[in-house]
Amino acid sequence: MNWIREFWRQLRYRLWGARFDEDLAEEMRLHVDLRAADRQADGMAPDAARAAARRQFGNAAQIQERSRDAWGWTHLDSWRQDVRYGLRTLAANPGFTATAVLSLALGIGANTAIFSILNAVLLRSLPVEDPQRLVQLRIGAEGDDELTNPIWEQVRDRQQAFSGALAYAADRFDLADGGESRYAAGLWVSGDFFRVLGVPAIDGRVFTRDEDRRGTAPLAVISYSFWKRNFNGDAGAIGKTVRLNRHAFEIVGVTPPWFRGLDRDFGFDVAIPIACEPIFHPGHSSLDERASWWLRILGRMLPEESIEQARDRMRAIAPEIFRATLPQDFTTEMQSHYLQNSFFLKPAATGFSEMGAQYRTALYTLMAIVGVVLLIACGNIANLLLARATARQREFSVRMAIGAGRARVVRQLMTESLLLAAFGTGAGLLLASWGSRLLIRLLSTTRHPLDIDLSLDPRVLASTVGAAILTAVLFGLAPALRATRVELNQVMKENARTALRASGRFNPGKALVAGQVALSLVLLVAAGLFLGTLRNLRAVDPGFTRHNILIVMADMEQAAVPVPQRANTYREILGRLRALPGVAGAASSLLTPISPEGWAQMVRPEGFASKSPRDTLLFLNRISPGYFATLRTPLLLGRDFNDSDGINAPQAMIVNESAARQFFGAASPIGKTIGMDAMGGGKADVCQIIGVAKDTKYNRINEKERRIGYLADGQDAEPGPHIRFTLRSDVPVETLIPAARAAIAGVNRGISLEFRNLESQVSESLLLPRTVALLSSIFGALALLLAMVGLYGITSYAVTRRKGEIAIRMALGAARASVVRLMLRDVVVLLAIGIAAGLAASLAAGRLVTSLLFGVRPGAPLQLAGAVLILAAATIVAAYVPARRAARLDPMAALREE
Amino acid sequence: MAENARRDEIPPGTLYMLILKMLARHGQLHGYEIASAIQEVSDDVLQVEEGSLYPALQRMLLKGWVTAEWGVTAGNRRARYYRPTAAGRKQLMAEVDQYRRVNGAIHKILQIAGR
Repeated sequence: MNWIREFWRQLRYRLWGARFDEDLAEEMRLHVDLRAADRQADGMAPDAARAAARRQFGNAAQIQERSRDAWGWTHLDSWRQDVRYGLRTLAANPGFTATAVLSLALGIGANTAIFSILNAVLLRSLPVEDPQRLVQLRIGAEGDDELTNPIWEQVRDRQQAFSGALAYAADRFDLADGGESRYAAGLWVSGDFFRVLGVPAIDGRVFTRDEDRRGTAPLAVISYSFWKRNFNGDAGAIGKTVRLNRHAFEIVGVTPPWFRGLDRDFGFDVAIPIACEPIFHPGHSSLDERASWWLRILGRMLPEESIEQARDRMRAIAPEIFRATLPQDFTTEMQSHYLQNSFFLKPAATGFSEMGAQYRTALYTLMAIVGVVLLIACGNIANLLLARATARQREFSVRMAIGAGRARVVRQLMTESLLLAAFGTGAGLLLASWGSRLLIRLLSTTRHPLDIDLSLDPRVLASTVGAAILTAVLFGLAPALRATRVELNQVMKENARTALRASGRFNPGKALVAGQVALSLVLLVAAGLFLGTLRNLRAVDPGFTRHNILIVMADMEQAAVPVPQRANTYREILGRLRALPGVAGAASSLLTPISPEGWAQMVRPEGFASKSPRDTLLFLNRISPGYFATLRTPLLLGRDFNDSDGINAPQAMIVNESAARQFFGAASPIGKTIGMDAMGGGKADVCQIIGVAKDTKYNRINEKERRIGYLADGQDAEPGPHIRFTLRSDVPVETLIPAARAAIAGVNRGISLEFRNLESQVSESLLLPRTVALLSSIFGALALLLAMVGLYGITSYAVTRRKGEIAIRMALGAARASVVRLMLRDVVVLLAIGIAAGLAASLAAGRLVTSLLFGVRPGAPLQLAGAVLILAAATIVAAYVPARRAARLDPMAALREE
Repeated sequence: MAENARRDEIPPGTLYMLILKMLARHGQLHGYEIASAIQEVSDDVLQVEEGSLYPALQRMLLKGWVTAEWGVTAGNRRARYYRPTAAGRKQLMAEVDQYRRVNGAIHKILQIAGR
C-alpha cells in the first residue's frame, strides 16, 4: 500500500504546497549565495565567486524541473486537463451526453434498486456479533422452520452443541385497549436472546436468563424506533409500562438502532420473554403444548467447530429430546414417526425473510431482466461512443500528428467515458433509492406490511460502482482503441466524409445493434408471459363474489367472555350486523377465502378406497347459515345449514364439487357420510352430507381445485376465540366500518377488531404477479426504446456515410422508394439475425420462470409471434425515419458538397 | 580545473544513502549544509553535483524518508531544514547493508584478480 501513501503525500503537498516553485527557488538561491560567500572567504573576487558557485550548482531551471518531476505532478496535471477537456466535450454535445447518462442511469438505477432488495432479504448478513457462527435448528432436511417450546427447553437445558442458544417467535401485540386494534411488531424471546446475539442495550438492560422462567414478571425490551416514536427517545422510558394485548409490561431496556430483530421483512417494536406467554392465553398456554410449533431455535456454534460437528452433537442427543417431548395425544403411528425425527442445522447468518423465500425466483428474475436492460443500455452507449469516435477521427489525427501519443489520446477518451459512467452512476443511485422504496411499497400489504432496511451497504455500492466502471472500460476502450488505430497521413489527406468509412467488413456497431434486438426480444417475450399470467389470474372465477364484501376479524381472546358464552355472543353480533342499514347479507365463519390461514384434515368418506392418505385430505371451514348466500357461492345440490343444525342434531357437512367428485364419483353425495377426527384429537365424528357447493378458491387464486368441506358453526361444541364476520353491502364497504364497530362494541367492548375489504384482500394476493408484470412491461418497453434509439443511430450514421453514393444513384434516376429500400435492407438483415438469436434465448429463458407463470406456456407460437411483430414494427419505424431523410436528399446539393 | 581533478563523482545510487547518513548524524540540515557536510567528511574527495541534491531531496520527501521544515540560518536567512523519519532511518540501514554486501563482493573479486 506504499503507493497509496505516496499518492496521499503527493496530493497533500499539491494542495497545501502551492508555493512549491518559490520555496524551491529560495532554497537554491540560498545554496548559491552561501557557496559564493564561502568562495569569497577563500579569497576569490565577488563576481568570480558567484559565477563559480553557479557553475558548481548546475542548471537551476533544469533542476527545478527535475524536482517537480520527482513528485509526478505532470501526471496529476494532465489528468486534470483530461477531466476539464472531457467535461467541455460532454457539455458541447448535450444530446449525446443526455442520452448516454440517461440510459446508464436507468440501467444502473434499476439494477441497484433490485439488487438492494435482493441484498436486504437474501444476501446481507445480520448486524449481530459474528453472524456466520449462527445456525438454525430444524427437524428434517427441508424441515420445519418452527419447533415447540418443550423441544426448546430441552435444547436450552442440554447445551452441549452450542456456545449459546436462543429461541424466538415473531408475533404482533395489540397496543389498543379494545375496539379497533393497533398492532406493534412483537417478538417472543428466550432469556439469552440478546446476549447470544451480542446485542447490548443502549439504555437500561436486556433480559437475563432467569427472566425467562415460568411465572416471570411481565417485562419488555423495546426497539430504538419504538422508543423514539412512543417515548421520544426519553431516558425516563425505562421503568414505564407498555400495554400489550391489555396487559402491562415493564420496560427494562432499549436496543440499539441497528438491531431490527432476525426477520428481514420487518423490524420489531417490543420483545417479551417466552415465559410470559401464559399471560395472554391463560388456561391454554402453548408452553407445554408438545404439538404447538411456533418457536425458531438458533444456536451459536462452538469456536473452531464446523456445522457438521455441531449437527452430530445435536443428533447424539436427539433421541433423548424427542422421547422427552413426545406428544401424548398423537396416534401410535404418529408417535413412532415423531421419534424417528432427526435434527438438521441451517446457516442463519442472513436471518429470515418470508419475502425472500416467497419472491426468490421473482427477485432473481427481475434481477436478470434489469441486468439485460443494463446490457442494452451499455450497447447503446458503446454505439454512441463508436459513432462519435469515428466522427472525431480527424480531431484525433490532428492531435496525434502534433505529437500526442496514442496512449494519451486513448486516455482522453477513457476519461470521457469514465465521466459519463460517473454521472450515470450518480443519477442511477438516486433513481435506485427512490425505486427500491417504491417497489417495497408496491409489495407491502395491510396484512404483511414490509419494512425492509434498504440502507446502502458497501456491497450494493461496490456492485454499482463496479458495474459503472466495467461499463466505462468495456464500452469506452474499444472505440478509443479503434479510433486511434489510423493511418495518420491518409486521414489527414482525405476529407472528413470519406474518412468516416469503416475499415473492414466486421462492424462492431452492427453487431451491437443485433445483440440489442435479441435482448429486447427476450424482455418483450418475458413481459408478454407475465402480462398473460396476470390476465389469466384476474380472469379466474374464485367461486365467490369479491365485490362489496367487508370482512370483520374479531378476536375474543382478551374479552371477558367465558367459552360456553361464545356461541351466543357470536350469534348476537351477527344478528346486530345483519340489521345494519346497507347490509344486504351477513354470515360468520372461522376462515375467509384468499387468506394465508387454513385447516385441513384426513377424512374417511363412506365407501371411498384411498390409494394414498393424501387422497383423503379435505380442507375445512366452519360457517354460519347464509355464508354461501352472502358470498354468492351457488349451492348446487341439497340445502344450506339452518338453525336446526344445532349441537344435538346429527353432524352435517356441505362439500364442494371437487370433494363430491373425488369421494363419491358421479353418484349423488347427499346423505353419504364422512368420518373425521375432531380437531386436536378426542372422539371421532361422523358427518352427514347435506349439500354440495360450487368450487371456491381457498388460499390462493392460482391454486388447483381443492376439496373443501364446510361444517356448521352451530355444531361447534367449543368455539374458539377468533371469528370472522362477512358482510355484503349495497354501499361502499368502508362506510360500513363505523356502524359495524359500534354494533360489536354494543355487545362487548373488549373484542379486538380488524376490518378488511375482500376485494383488496384478493387483489393483494395477486401482488407479486402484478408487480412482476408491471416491472417486466416497463423494462420491456425501456429495452424496446433503447433498441430503437440504437437502430435509429446506426441508420442515420449509414445515411451520412453513404450520402455520396445515394446522391449518385438518385442522379442516375433511382426512385425515392428504392433508396429507402436500399437503406432498410441492412436493417432488415440485422433485425433477422437479432430476432433469431432472441427467439432462441427466449425459449431457454422461459423455462427458468415457469414457477412464476399461470396458464401461459413459454414458447407458445402466438405469444412469440406477437413479441416479434411489436419489435419488428418498432425498429423498422426507428430505421425508416433516417432512411426517408436519405430519400429526400437533394442529389445536386449532395454531389456539389462532395 | 585542477581542483576538480582530485574530486570524484559520487557513485550512482548512493546519493540517498549519503544524504540520509548526514541527516542521521546531524539531526537536521539544510541543502547547502548537506552538500558541505558530505564534502567535509569525505575530506573533499567526494563531490556532490550540487544541484542534483534538490530533486533527490524532493523524491525523498515523497517517499516519506525525510520531513522538511522552514527555519532560520545563522546568517538570519530562511532555509528549509530536512530531518530523517523512522522510515528514512530504516532505509539508511537497508542501503548501508546492501552497499556493504556489494562492496565486499567487489572487494573480494579485486583481491582474487590482484593475486
